[in-house]
Amino acid sequence: MVETADRVTAAGRAGRPGLATRVRRVEGAPVVAVRLWLDAGARVESIPGQGLLTGRMLEEGTRRRDWRRIAADAEGRGMELSSFGAFEGHGVNVDALAPDWELALEWAAELVREPSFPEDRCAWLGKQAAAELEGLADQPDVKSAWGFLEHLYTPHPRCRPVLGDVASLRTVTAADCAGLHRAALAGGLIAAVAGVIDEDAVELRLERLFGDLPPRAEPFPPPVAPAGLPERRHQVKVESEDQVHLYVGHLTVPRRHPDYTALELLAVILGSGAGLTGRIPTRIREREGLAYTAHAQTVAGAGEDPGRLVAYVATAPATASQAEKGVVEEIARLADDGIGDHELEEARSYLLGVEPFRRETARQWAELLLEAEQYGLPLDDPQRRAADLRALDRRTCEAAARRHLRPADLRVTIGLPG
Amino acid sequence: MSYLSLASSGAASAAAAAVAAFPGGSCIPGRRQYARLANGLTVCVLENRQAPVVTTALCLRAGTSDDPPGHGGAAHFLEHMMFKGSARFGPGEIDRRTQALGGSNNAFTSHDSTTYYFSFAADRWTEALAIEADRMASLTLDPRQVASERQVIREEIAMYESEPWDALEVAVQARLFRGHAYGRPVLGTRGELRATGREELAAFQRCFYRPDNAVLVVAGEASEETVLGEVERTLGGLPPGAERRAGAAPVPWPGGMVRLRRRKGEVPRLLLALPAPAGDHPDHALLRLLAALLGSGRSSRLYRALVDEGQLCSWVHTDLTESLDAGHLTIAAEVVPGVEPARVEGELLGLLAELVGTRPGLEEVERARQVALADWVLHHERVEQQALSLAVALALFDAEHLDRQMRRLLAASPAALHEAAGRYLRPELGSVLGWSLPRS
Repeated sequence: MVETADRVTAAGRAGRPGLATRVRRVEGAPVVAVRLWLDAGARVESIPGQGLLTGRMLEEGTRRRDWRRIAADAEGRGMELSSFGAFEGHGVNVDALAPDWELALEWAAELVREPSFPEDRCAWLGKQAAAELEGLADQPDVKSAWGFLEHLYTPHPRCRPVLGDVASLRTVTAADCAGLHRAALAGGLIAAVAGVIDEDAVELRLERLFGDLPPRAEPFPPPVAPAGLPERRHQVKVESEDQVHLYVGHLTVPRRHPDYTALELLAVILGSGAGLTGRIPTRIREREGLAYTAHAQTVAGAGEDPGRLVAYVATAPATASQAEKGVVEEIARLADDGIGDHELEEARSYLLGVEPFRRETARQWAELLLEAEQYGLPLDDPQRRAADLRALDRRTCEAAARRHLRPADLRVTIGLPG
Repeated sequence: MSYLSLASSGAASAAAAAVAAFPGGSCIPGRRQYARLANGLTVCVLENRQAPVVTTALCLRAGTSDDPPGHGGAAHFLEHMMFKGSARFGPGEIDRRTQALGGSNNAFTSHDSTTYYFSFAADRWTEALAIEADRMASLTLDPRQVASERQVIREEIAMYESEPWDALEVAVQARLFRGHAYGRPVLGTRGELRATGREELAAFQRCFYRPDNAVLVVAGEASEETVLGEVERTLGGLPPGAERRAGAAPVPWPGGMVRLRRRKGEVPRLLLALPAPAGDHPDHALLRLLAALLGSGRSSRLYRALVDEGQLCSWVHTDLTESLDAGHLTIAAEVVPGVEPARVEGELLGLLAELVGTRPGLEEVERARQVALADWVLHHERVEQQALSLAVALALFDAEHLDRQMRRLLAASPAALHEAAGRYLRPELGSVLGWSLPRS
């Protein structure tokens, strides 16, 4: 059973067929990109790191092959095959030459449907992830960013790295991973395939590989809501040479929120657009010369749960206060004073102009198709996207700014050399 | 449609299939045409209609190696200043114009060259040429903007110093290339930055930012006729007169294995840098294949021995630079906390010795070839990536460089790889082994 969903929520998918597909022929280099996605990641894990390891374990062995054979077979064909665990889900990615599309689908299916979850590999992957975590913590910007997530999302699972933590990674077992994967598969599978392919043939093959999946079970219960740490300012000690990492923001809206597109446009005005444009980079870097890196987002990480307004600046300790003041003032100015007509048109033009660059390759298309299916949004329709952007006027954007950019609620996380 | 027709030794069919991923008789898809304007500007048009986009990449044969004595970082500083105001485009205006047209832009400086690029939808790409022409001809270099940007670069230096891998890489490269321009940091030092002002930047631009010292690639959905007409109209009036570079300078490689130790962070990090030939040397392709055999993919020797089976490192990675005078092959690994660094070092050196001592089998070489080719194909899907690779290759080497190196990679036999391993993978003959060790 194959379905194409439109504007369905995760909860609304229960009882629907187990497989949802999005397939598209994309001209260009003769390659194919396969994405298989299951709705269970760090967001619904019971042990920090379980979602990550569940995804990574898929390529560690199946009933037919061990990890060495899987890797050797893929690399021998020039395929990039990997499994992953992310915040909202886990799954398998395969990028292959187009003539190998059937093999790519078969191997991806094998990893998802027949994983063997060998215990010894789980122990190693846990150890490896813990080492990665410690390595990342040595990077001052990353450690500060983790502090910011904790500041905003505690006790929601977004408050910690997807990698989990060093102690919990030691406790995740292969059985924990197998259990999470089994439950995820019962909740259904999304297959997105793009490239120089025959769409009908791919659909047929997907139906053969996954058509026997049972109707979707109830999804995982949603995690505890984010509340954030009580303090307005949060400090993180980092090993940095003469540089402070400043994160300013608060929670905004989830991916399906009707104001999402308006907030994307506001993000461009604030500092997510081309080069060093936007109010925050212009003031912090171009006008005041305080930082090499300064940018802003309004819906960073938005998915099933709210994303976040975040402005980031790396600056010298002596100029940290000036940078913070500048960022806070620019956010307040956007919320309180609104936007200019010229700014609106420029931001709209930017978002319309970058669309072709988001749809250049098979891999980009596969990711778009997947996201479209995941959130039940028409993200794979360029006309719809253009129409949504053209429909935004100044009044709508300013109303969205007043609703979702709240200067009084701003939280500040500072990574300080220590 | 024609494909790059190449015969490789041994099991060539799969490799050839990988290269056949790119139509047009080349490892870059699309139809290529070359022209040279009267002022010396080399133009390459890559007509590739896979998406309605166009990238322009202007690559100048001027980089960190050309920094004047005492003014290290000048090439990079100037790269920043090229966005800070010219006659028609005031400070910040280039980015604002790019944004208003829905495009993107950026630039990067290396020791050999500096590259500026824009990507726009196909119906508005010519604005990129107007910007390039204006800032080549009439860069403002306002002293206030120079002072402000100097501060920005100081923050960039601080950022590199804070990041453990960046800091280790700069230190290792400085030692490997000691006595050669490649050993100097691209950003310069804080002292050099202080000593570099408007005059030095203007002089650098006068010397090197000339059409006869530049290559322009226009790639994407644009016809040769349109492109050449637009290029002539906008850039054809720039005066030539670039200062000629001296020939390749020999690198005084270390005589044995030099060890560096730094203290930073909580995780041990290893970076081994080995001398490699210049990017156009016939051995370069062999070394690229050896790098893949060693460290690309889970089946590679280092990944298997140090990560998946040995469980000593969380990851390992190999890389090979492609430069004018000489390159270097690096092996980087992040060690699992608790594992003795000496053990990792021993394993690594043992694996290199094994490759030097024993010829690799055909099956292993073919796997490495597939991985290297897949990496190339999948990372040159976008027009922007294609334009940048072409521009740098054309500026530093020649029009056939990429295809020639690909042919060499496809033709490499196990015996040739084994001989190359004997020439280049012997750290004891000259290398730098850098360790970043935990402070604790």
